[in-house]
Amino acid sequence: MSRLAGTLRFARALVAMNLRSSLALRGAFWLQASFMALNNAAFFSVWWLLFERFPEIGGWRLLDVLTLFGVVASGYGASIVLAGGVRDLGRAIHDGELDSCLVQPKPVLLHRLASHTIASGWGDMASGAVMLGLAGALEPASLAATGLAVASSACVFTASGVLLQSLSFWIDGMETFARQISEFTLVFSTYPRPLFSGGVSVLLYTVVPAGFVGFLPAELVRAPSLALAAAALAASLGWTLLAIFVFERGLVRYASGNRIGARS
Amino acid sequence: MTADRFVRSTRKYGAIALVSARRALAERSVLAGRALFLGVIVFIFSRVWETVLGQGPQAIPGAGKRELIWYLAVTEWCLLSVPHLFLAIEADVRSGDIACRLVRPVSYLGTQIAEALGETGLRLLVLGPTGAAVAFWMAGGFPEDPRGLLLALPLGALASVLAVLSTAAIGLSAFWIVDTSPVYWIWQKLVFVLGGLLLPLELYPDWLRTLARCSPFPAMLWGPGRMAFGFAPEAALVTLLELLAWGVGIGVGLAWLSRSARARLTVSGG
Amino acid sequence: MAPAIELENLRKTFRVTERAHGLAGSLRALFVRRTREVVAVDDLSFAIAPGERVAFVGPNGAGKSTTLKILSGILQPTAGRVRVLGLEPGRERTRLAYRIGAVFGQRSQLWSHLPAADTFDLLARIYELEPAEYRRRRDDLVASFEIAQVVEKPVRQLSLGERMRCELVASLLHRPEILFLDEPTIGLDVVAKATIRDLLRERGRLDGCTILLTSHDTGDMESVCERVLVIHHGRLLLDRSLATLRRGFIAKKRVSVVTEEVELRVDLPGVRRLPSASHRTELEVDLDVIGVDRVVAAIVAGARVLDLSVEDPPMEEIVSAIYAGAARSVSRA
Repeated sequence: MSRLAGTLRFARALVAMNLRSSLALRGAFWLQASFMALNNAAFFSVWWLLFERFPEIGGWRLLDVLTLFGVVASGYGASIVLAGGVRDLGRAIHDGELDSCLVQPKPVLLHRLASHTIASGWGDMASGAVMLGLAGALEPASLAATGLAVASSACVFTASGVLLQSLSFWIDGMETFARQISEFTLVFSTYPRPLFSGGVSVLLYTVVPAGFVGFLPAELVRAPSLALAAAALAASLGWTLLAIFVFERGLVRYASGNRIGARS
Repeated sequence: MTADRFVRSTRKYGAIALVSARRALAERSVLAGRALFLGVIVFIFSRVWETVLGQGPQAIPGAGKRELIWYLAVTEWCLLSVPHLFLAIEADVRSGDIACRLVRPVSYLGTQIAEALGETGLRLLVLGPTGAAVAFWMAGGFPEDPRGLLLALPLGALASVLAVLSTAAIGLSAFWIVDTSPVYWIWQKLVFVLGGLLLPLELYPDWLRTLARCSPFPAMLWGPGRMAFGFAPEAALVTLLELLAWGVGIGVGLAWLSRSARARLTVSGG
Repeated sequence: MAPAIELENLRKTFRVTERAHGLAGSLRALFVRRTREVVAVDDLSFAIAPGERVAFVGPNGAGKSTTLKILSGILQPTAGRVRVLGLEPGRERTRLAYRIGAVFGQRSQLWSHLPAADTFDLLARIYELEPAEYRRRRDDLVASFEIAQVVEKPVRQLSLGERMRCELVASLLHRPEILFLDEPTIGLDVVAKATIRDLLRERGRLDGCTILLTSHDTGDMESVCERVLVIHHGRLLLDRSLATLRRGFIAKKRVSVVTEEVELRVDLPGVRRLPSASHRTELEVDLDVIGVDRVVAAIVAGARVLDLSVEDPPMEEIVSAIYAGAARSVSRA
């Protein structure tokens, strides 16, 4: 129990450290955050234009897309701010940078993930919050559902990233591929679900978990229900456990020192 | 004298471009990634058009679902072929390498642009058939009058050149701001929205269309893209002239920027 | 007293997958994985008592870093028995982590955009140090490593020497019983190296912590440690105290003379002239042939001496001789 408490305190210290680190370069922080917010607004405006012409797409209206965007932007932003280390996890594995984390008595994955933060994520979260507010998802009554939705989205996005990047323990050069898949996940998650059917939608709940990053949480906000909440919780838990499992297996292999190609 | 120099310069920069293209070819995963991304986007948006238009009326006179899908394939082909030149220049500025190389600004910039163009050329060659294949598959065939696509090719290539010049300018902004990525994001979104990446300008409200036409962006994407709607040589000519005019404008801007950058370098010492 | 570190027949092999060449190779690699086994450590055995300061010396690829990584729990051994502070590093890595510290010369654990002080506070959380005790310890270390001015500046603004001192303080905050140092002075200038070495020696003495140091630089070995383990091709060549190493290995002395005369000539058997400068002569005396006293007497009689020193040859030579000896015995075998 005290170990858990120690780990939580450590996590909190890491987050604070992260924040301080990104604020240390104040100019860059504001530039990244504000321009990312503008970026998202501009992207959303294309949807606005589309809905000006066609009031309905597959049963979805502008408000629904607004909710979807809000959830994904907030979740993605939270992910890269709190667990910014996902992006170069593969490279760190490849370059042996996990050594210094291994020598310290705290969980390696947590340490590595929370050691980096990407400032533009604040812009994502801000624009996400604005969108959710406009969609009416920030009313006191909906706050719990919205919170769970965003947390779930962030969780699955991070976990799927960790899973893919962890393949670097076994396969060389996975970093680019993992980043591509993450990019696709993000892209797919911002499009209304009814657009995709059959084989594609299976894909969207597995390899490219856009369904869990976008659609499911958005549904939870649109039409909150206990079933959806349970689904979101299960998805988050399931993906997180899977990611941790794969990473830990990877660490075992890392500890064996066996690697592809020659290395000093 | 100048003609001879011009020929030599062209040959030199041409060689640089060729080397760059070869290098890009070796980085297969990056190329494959872009091709895949193009396929994904065309796929997703063809689903959108399918859902929206389906059996319904045409959104634009003369342009049905098929034409709109091909339109997107063309615009994405142009945009995705442009490499992140601004990152390379930003890295040089940050590391200070540029100080030595920028003493003769034309050389440095020329080299960078030549390299980027080499890569762009290769991507255009690879992404073109990719985009066409996906569009053909999703749209169920060629657009009504496929001759337009032939016109789209040179226009699209020229549009990419303009985009490369723009990213060079963005890269030079690293002299004034440390991180150029945010500038790139905004430029990219302006291209998306005002250039009509996903939606042709015909679908825009009048005020936005007018606003967009005052910028270089429609010439870059909508100009080549709308060739998918039909064979329109007059429109193509208009786009060509716009591209050339804006190209000259961006070129002048680039020259001015590099001169200011050089001045700034001598002031602050790198 | 139980040894701090105990190694018995340690063996570590890596399975390295051959990288495919060309298209044919890549295709073949899809079906058949060609691996070869690399032996990094072969039958290594030694024990280190608490408080000892030991140098782990060897050329590139000798297995030093690998051994260090096994001892700190980063890598798993292939065979053999390893005990660090009574624990098995591979199995009880986290428990051990609270009691050991590590500094990898080329990698930093300091956050570059923030002052080192912030990283220290984070480490206090990592090692779950009691706040008042941590502050006392931190202030003590900051004072003795003389980084008070430097500790509030962002790390990326520091010089390499300053950074290394901060790095060392960071690794000592939690009072580790063993400190593993992998190339701690790499890239530092002469003055910085000397400073770091002095600090390490002091700390080892004050805290009583065991130090295990790997380095290419034999100067590290000379200044900080009392015992040397020479490793080559994954095997232990030699395990001696520093003094014994010097005495036992080369029966030679270096004599440096500064004279009023521009040049000094010494024609004695067993005395070899080394590259010298004007007014300053370097001589090598082979003690098997002639005694140092005779050489000194000859010099003093034959010139106006301003300064004279008699020293052991640099450790580089000693170690090179050891490797050469090992190579000879390997080639003979």
